[in-house]
Amino acid sequence: MQTALQFGPILVHLDRLLLGLVKTIQLAALSILFGTAIGLLGAVGRSFGPRWLAWPIATYVELIRNTPLLIQLYFVFFSLPLFGFKLSSNTAAIVALSIHLGAYATEILRAGIQSIPAGQIEAAKSLGLGRYRIIRHVVLVPAARAVYPSLSAQFILQIMGTSIVGAIAAEELTAIANNLVMQTFRSFEVFIIIALIYFVLVQAASLSFAGIGKLMFRWKV
Amino acid sequence: MRNFLKQASAGAMLAGLVLALSALLPSMASAQTVDQIISRGKLLVAIDTTTPPYGFLDANLKPTGFDIEVAYKMGEALGVPVEFVTVTSPGRIPALLTKQVDAVISIFSITPARAIQIDYSIPYAGQSAVVIAPKSTAIKGVADLVGKKVGLTRGTGEDGLLTAAAAANPGIEILRFDDYSSLLQAMVSGQIDAMGGGDYGEIYLKKARSGDAFEQKYILKTFYFGIGVAKGNENLRQWVNTWLFTMKTDGILEQLSMKYRNQPLPPLPVF
Repeated sequence: MQTALQFGPILVHLDRLLLGLVKTIQLAALSILFGTAIGLLGAVGRSFGPRWLAWPIATYVELIRNTPLLIQLYFVFFSLPLFGFKLSSNTAAIVALSIHLGAYATEILRAGIQSIPAGQIEAAKSLGLGRYRIIRHVVLVPAARAVYPSLSAQFILQIMGTSIVGAIAAEELTAIANNLVMQTFRSFEVFIIIALIYFVLVQAASLSFAGIGKLMFRWKV
Repeated sequence: MRNFLKQASAGAMLAGLVLALSALLPSMASAQTVDQIISRGKLLVAIDTTTPPYGFLDANLKPTGFDIEVAYKMGEALGVPVEFVTVTSPGRIPALLTKQVDAVISIFSITPARAIQIDYSIPYAGQSAVVIAPKSTAIKGVADLVGKKVGLTRGTGEDGLLTAAAAANPGIEILRFDDYSSLLQAMVSGQIDAMGGGDYGEIYLKKARSGDAFEQKYILKTFYFGIGVAKGNENLRQWVNTWLFTMKTDGILEQLSMKYRNQPLPPLPVF
């Protein structure tokens, strides 16, 4: 018995898949934005903040990095309503994804901060630079440049991580593809098509991250 | 030379990849006849352990439920042990297409669309898809769902019915979950206002929350479950039909229904 691949019944629904792609890009872009912001605050807080701030940040990082993203999604969507925070599926997905990335970004940026030699900071101090300008120009920018490749690798993982948020009924490419599978029963064709879409999306993202990196960190060491 | 080797190995890898991919295509494997299953010494059955009371995990994390017992009885009748392959509802048809399993016994409603890709036995069980909501919510029919969030399991019969209802009545927001336990979770945590599910659903919601806060609101449709086999596997399908006939006439299906569903089976038409 043979089941030939038929893409026709799927391609008529291409508009729905493209809508899913838009939602996936939204989820990824917003969570990368918020996650990086959390990571920046976390890394600066842990490296330069008061001592009492260090352990809550460390606890957050360990808690998130040692639990699966799926459980974090379930927690935000199913458990938070019991404490009075009811978020819609896509909002819950953005919150969970941002918190998830935030923990990794904190550690990556902290590693960058630690890679700055003490002499560089002492030199800045002896030149009379203030604390804010030292943290921003002498530490953070070179630190971000040092860890930018790992950070963009984490962003790529984040884009692919959005594919599981259908578990809390959020709408994105994989969830819409699953709906389509159930409607057309052409699972191979649908998954081949969304694999291609993801491939193009992630390739485009990688190239953009590389381009942004070149623009942001133009000078040589 | 080095470049050539590099290219050659890249070419070999690509060829390997293509081979591996083509091995995944359904046409490569072949369906198992009754004789072949017996000589192999095991029956491979796809089940879903997130669909109580048909398939779930007991206190010892062993699969149990109406469908699971039917699967064990099928193995018994063939004289071979049963090996379970756990799938979710979207994974049932692919499991048959790729010949990972001999049969799917997992609340597999008989629909003409599915029967294009796989073959069904005569029905061995049936149940109604209903809308369930908290007692405090007044829902009499589809019109009362407008403006509400209605949850369901992706790809189930309820999905088709409620998606059509939502298309005809703008304002119904449908939330699709991957499995039944997530759907129940969403209902209990109040993330959805109502849910489409089996007529047994409220039993589990009552367990999840003290008191009986949920009730069945109205019946969407009655579905009949068949055992799915690979398309064209007439040998196995004919045996399954014969065996199901005896399961019905011996009253075993009825016993299982009372044990797991707390209610008798609806009349089961045959084809």
